[in-house]
Amino acid sequence: MTHRIVVNVETGVTTQVEYTAEEQAAHDAAVAAQQAEAAAAEAQALADAAAPAPNEAQ
Amino acid sequence: MAVTIDGSASVTINSGAVLGITSAPAQASTSGVSIDFTSIPSWVKRITVMFSGVSLNSTGAFLIQLGDSGGVETSGYDATFIIGSNTSSNTVTASVAGFPFYSGTNTFSVSGSMIITNITGNTWVEQGVFNNSVTTPFVTSTAGTKTLSATLDRVRITTTTGTDTFDAGSVNILYEG
Repeated sequence: MTHRIVVNVETGVTTQVEYTAEEQAAHDAAVAAQQAEAAAAEAQALADAAAPAPNEAQ
Repeated sequence: MAVTIDGSASVTINSGAVLGITSAPAQASTSGVSIDFTSIPSWVKRITVMFSGVSLNSTGAFLIQLGDSGGVETSGYDATFIIGSNTSSNTVTASVAGFPFYSGTNTFSVSGSMIITNITGNTWVEQGVFNNSVTTPFVTSTAGTKTLSATLDRVRITTTTGTDTFDAGSVNILYEG
């Protein structure tokens, strides 16, 4: 589970707060979206590299 | 005005303010997606956020956010950072979601500090300088402002993605009135 660290400066107590199911679902969706975006960018870069240069195409 | 000198290198006046600088307990930044310092006293006028060798598992920029009794505020910031390096000098990035600064890649470890100062009311301004000096040296500078809806009582250290995880180093804050 994903978590955050909370430090109470008044008491000096540090707590590890686990994400709720709702927060975890939002986190997982955001990570999946980032991975999809990165994969799309990588695929586009590969396609650009594989495409012939304008002079070569003629 | 009542003044107490308690022999512990701090002086407390009857408004509750402590004269001098107070340090929170340092935190290992080795897990989690954010680190919150809460219950910051209402008399605080300046906060120093410190990083020592802090690293992420990905490439999101670091983000410092302020909050009050209503929670951490995630919008309404006016802030930018700039990177100076051998490969990407003068790259400027703005943020309305917090006070940002560059983190590099997941192999970088960042050190430095940010000073957040109360200019008036609930308006805060910040300036910070951080570096990475391992294999790919860079320095990143940040500045910005944010007006909270109420009195500041918390500071969050997180990332622009909100999903990157801390995996090395330590962080802490100092606060003073």
